[in-house]
Amino acid sequence: MMVRTAALTKRYGEQGALSNVDVEVPRGSVYGLVGPNGAGKTTLLTILAGLCRPTGGQVQLEVPRRRMALLPDTPQFDPWLTGREVVALAAHLAGIDGPRPRALRVLADAGLAEAADRRVGGYSRGMLQRLGIAATLVGEPELLLLDEPASALDPAGRREVLDLIAGMRGEATVMLSSHILADVHEVCDIVGILRAGKLLYQGTLENLLVGRAVPAYRIHLRSAVEPVIDVLRRQPWVTSVAAPLPHRLHVRVRSLADAERHLAPLLGNCGAQVISMTPDTADLEDVFLELTS
Amino acid sequence: MSLWRLEWLRLLRTHRLLTILGVYVFFGLTGPLTVRYLGQILGSLGTGGVEVEFPEPTPADGIAQFTGDASQIGLLVVVMVAASALAFDSRREMAVFLRSRVPGVYRIILPAYAMSTIAGFAGLACGTLAAWYETVVLLGPVPIGSLLTGLLLGALFLAFAVGVVALSASLAKGALATAGISLGSLLGMAIAAGVGGPNVSRWLPTTLAGAMGDLVRQGRPEDYLPAAGLCILATAGCLLAAIALANRREL
Repeated sequence: MMVRTAALTKRYGEQGALSNVDVEVPRGSVYGLVGPNGAGKTTLLTILAGLCRPTGGQVQLEVPRRRMALLPDTPQFDPWLTGREVVALAAHLAGIDGPRPRALRVLADAGLAEAADRRVGGYSRGMLQRLGIAATLVGEPELLLLDEPASALDPAGRREVLDLIAGMRGEATVMLSSHILADVHEVCDIVGILRAGKLLYQGTLENLLVGRAVPAYRIHLRSAVEPVIDVLRRQPWVTSVAAPLPHRLHVRVRSLADAERHLAPLLGNCGAQVISMTPDTADLEDVFLELTS
Repeated sequence: MSLWRLEWLRLLRTHRLLTILGVYVFFGLTGPLTVRYLGQILGSLGTGGVEVEFPEPTPADGIAQFTGDASQIGLLVVVMVAASALAFDSRREMAVFLRSRVPGVYRIILPAYAMSTIAGFAGLACGTLAAWYETVVLLGPVPIGSLLTGLLLGALFLAFAVGVVALSASLAKGALATAGISLGSLLGMAIAAGVGGPNVSRWLPTTLAGAMGDLVRQGRPEDYLPAAGLCILATAGCLLAAIALANRREL
């Protein structure tokens, strides 16, 4: 494990920020920390980065602190520095005083090649976030702690950041917090769901979603649904049938395997004109809302 | 790009170095000038029929006028500039960038402290040079040895003052609060020196601020040894305490 916490607790006076949090982040994985505002995500990342002391519990890191990097959600830098200087400073502090092309490449990867020699004071929020990512990556950290890394970016910028993060899988360990569940769903291997300082779930996305999904199919027909409903209700492997909209059916089944085997032939035998037929899986947002509500 | 260069660029690009140099040189030029022409200035303003006679100004008066102005306004500017560099925790995101990349916070504090002190010393030196030139031209020769000794003692005081700023920055987060605590502490020390008399003031670092003016008036350098010794120890103490407190601070 790259990161392991045991009964990690943080209190600010009477206010509890984290309560007995046991996090395990495997080396080389992309770990997504999700939770509503005030759940303790930033506090957890700040403690792991060594910028805040826990009130109780333990933190075990399999990486020296100089090989870690924390990116805050709204990175800020001295406004009179240029982007290139910020990245050069970050590289120097990480012990990498190598050739300039490295800094330039990182800036280019972050989409800031043309703005590299402009002063940071004139950067937009999205550009600052990109610069923060460049300053984080230039040190080639083994453990990246990213607090809402795509929150200020436009869709194209978000796409690039997600691709960057996904590309790090196996090379570095990434722990990111986000309230954009689609991002977490897309790039993370493991998720931890925090609410009010408590870790409600930790594990793979598959386990989280499969364990909670009710096996069902969504069917869209061009023909009338009534004859199909009657036939479906007589099947032993169908547990319920509903028609939420015209020409659409929601069919709950005993198991997806039964549906995969019997559903298509049955629709064919009924003479139904099928536009689409998809398994209905629970998505992260459903599970998140269920767990945190 | 090191943290030393960062602090140098901070002084240069934010025009803070220029401000410090400008303030000290301004008082270096105007101090002796004011002393030389004070009588004429007041005479031209009119005194309502009352004739005021001023003693003939001496070169020591010119230097004393400079140190009087510089130890107040100059010090204020140096404290503000140092506070803006040393209160690096005032913006959390910027503090995260620096703090999460250094093994100890001393690596941030020492360059900020040293560059602020050097800037203050550069200002004092330039101001002294200007005051010397103006005094020699308008009032007469100044003993160079005493002037340089006074400059050295003034530099020691500035080093102490910036040390106080470093300590204040580890107690308060904002630059303004840091400057306020620092100026309050230095003012309190000056008041203590005034109230306590020579037996107290000879030990206090604030006494060094006006040493230049006294030394060119035949003051004895050895009278400042207790304050200089305590100043060095207190500066080191302030820095060590600042580093220890800043290391304990949470973001």
